[in-house]
Amino acid sequence: MNTNQRLGRTFLTSRVRQFFVAVLSVTFGISMYICMNSFMSGVNDEQTKMAFTAIPHINIYNEVQSEPNYHSKETNRGSTIRMVSNERNINYTEGIRNVDEIKEKLENIDHINGYTAQLNQNVFIRNGVSKTSANLSGIEPTSEDQMFNTAQYLIEGRLQDLNKGSNSIILGTGLAQKIGASTGDNITVTTSDGIDKSFKIMGLIETGSGADKSRALISIQTARQLFSKNRSYATELMVNLNDFDEAVNVAAQISQYTDYKVESWQESNGQLDSANGLRRIIAIAVSLTILIVAGFGIYNIMNMTVNEKIKEIAILKAIGFNGNDVIEIFLIQSVIIGFVGGLTGLALGHIMISIIDRVPFEVGPMDSLPVSISPIDYVSAFLFGIIITFLAGYLPARSASKVDPVAILRG
Amino acid sequence: MKALHIKNINKHFREPVDFHVLKDISFDIDQGEFVSIIGKSGSGKSTLLYLLSTLDTDYEGSINLVGQDVSKMSQNQLAQFRNEHIGFVFQFHFLIQDLSVLDNITLPAQKLGKKPKDEIEHEAMELIKLLDIEGQESKKASRISGGQQQRVAIARALINSPSIIMGDEPTGNLDTRNTEIVFDVFRQLAVERGQTIIAVTHDDEFAANCDRIIELSDGYLV
Repeated sequence: MNTNQRLGRTFLTSRVRQFFVAVLSVTFGISMYICMNSFMSGVNDEQTKMAFTAIPHINIYNEVQSEPNYHSKETNRGSTIRMVSNERNINYTEGIRNVDEIKEKLENIDHINGYTAQLNQNVFIRNGVSKTSANLSGIEPTSEDQMFNTAQYLIEGRLQDLNKGSNSIILGTGLAQKIGASTGDNITVTTSDGIDKSFKIMGLIETGSGADKSRALISIQTARQLFSKNRSYATELMVNLNDFDEAVNVAAQISQYTDYKVESWQESNGQLDSANGLRRIIAIAVSLTILIVAGFGIYNIMNMTVNEKIKEIAILKAIGFNGNDVIEIFLIQSVIIGFVGGLTGLALGHIMISIIDRVPFEVGPMDSLPVSISPIDYVSAFLFGIIITFLAGYLPARSASKVDPVAILRG
Repeated sequence: MKALHIKNINKHFREPVDFHVLKDISFDIDQGEFVSIIGKSGSGKSTLLYLLSTLDTDYEGSINLVGQDVSKMSQNQLAQFRNEHIGFVFQFHFLIQDLSVLDNITLPAQKLGKKPKDEIEHEAMELIKLLDIEGQESKKASRISGGQQQRVAIARALINSPSIIMGDEPTGNLDTRNTEIVFDVFRQLAVERGQTIIAVTHDDEFAANCDRIIELSDGYLV
């Protein structure tokens, strides 16, 4: 430790109470930074986890063009006048015709955790005279369960029952209630092409979302028969990744292999992504504000210190300390404050976040407040703390270096 | 060798109104000379001392100390120069109150950084003996008497064996006995170590015993 640093430390420790207050303000700022960010990440993670029980990380499907593009847009060339009225889409292909081919290609791509195909269509379901529309999903029960834990939401029956025979169906609880049917009953499904088929209810599913009122599950083979499609047909292929933050990258990779639309969750569920982003911004804004307020506190204390030590500054300059030495002497004090406050802030923040983690909060699938502890939050809290105390200390230190010794020493 | 050589020094105070404090001052001081600067209040003697000490750089003319022209140096060079070549004793002892007596004395040497710590402390202890303040070295500067503080300030001025020692009323706050001690130390330094001493004083007796008296009156050298 050089002479300047030793002097700075002596000045600092000679006024214990001010030192304590300054350290405390940094401690508070940094611990709040850690708490806010860990809590917000916890909320984000919980939200995302809940959302991914229903939506995949990446969805592959046949996109119906919003604008008809089957003819040249160029018009009125030469002497030809082209007139087109009432343009409409003519879909030569609907859905994914050969989903097995895409599945094979997915095997070559990293980060993929699982995938499942679905065949989704809107149908009418009748039970006697009660009739309602429903979203019929033809699913692959095994891989569907691996991706979305579908089986855990079944309140009656088993998901694998769908593979037993070609007339098994599982209904959402709300849907079953609407048509007055229960497990074991027979119901009739009518497709948009006017085909009727009778199904036996093998079980009921309840996820707690609005989908329960319209959801009906059958096996994908049964669905292909019902809609007279080939045996590799699907409307959607859903892909899950090991890390959902990779979705955009992996989606880009997959789209090299297929002409179908490959959509990441960020694209299809923008609100989820933006809500996460907004919560992060709020957390950072609030915690940075607290740190900046702490910075003003230090600025104030250091200004007072410089005024109190103005005679000492004059003396130091007279005996040969230059402006930079004086800056170092006073800057080291705020750096020490930042460092000590930073370390105690990390400890206090960690204790506080551990307590928040244990606060009971029994809503939905949660039983305590969601918290996500990540080292990056701790490192950035500490860095911000050091940077802000450094800036807050630099201005008073610079004004100390500009003290004119003659004016002070002459009295 | 000349310890000090100044030529055509002019100094103005610009606030609140322009005031010509020092008018065309030129003189030399030899090495080992014990000089006092006297004059009435407002004659500009303290102002002159602060110019010579390089702390005040707002002047016209040239100042040459121990063969170096300090009027052309930058602030950082001047700080380094003061540290090495000039020792200061002020009217109000101006110690760093939070440091111990020993730390106060060794501070300029630690800043200079040319000697190891134990050697610096050894030299400081010798100065403490010379100035008769033994037994106080580990006390805080704020805990000792005024006379002792002044002697600590002198010890601090001497620690780097500067060529020139400057004092602004170095005995102004001391009783007769302490004044004598300080005067004797200065005399001894000038004679035995060849250090140049320049002191601003009001004390006629103190001035009368010096090698030379420089008197200022209304900004002119008398």
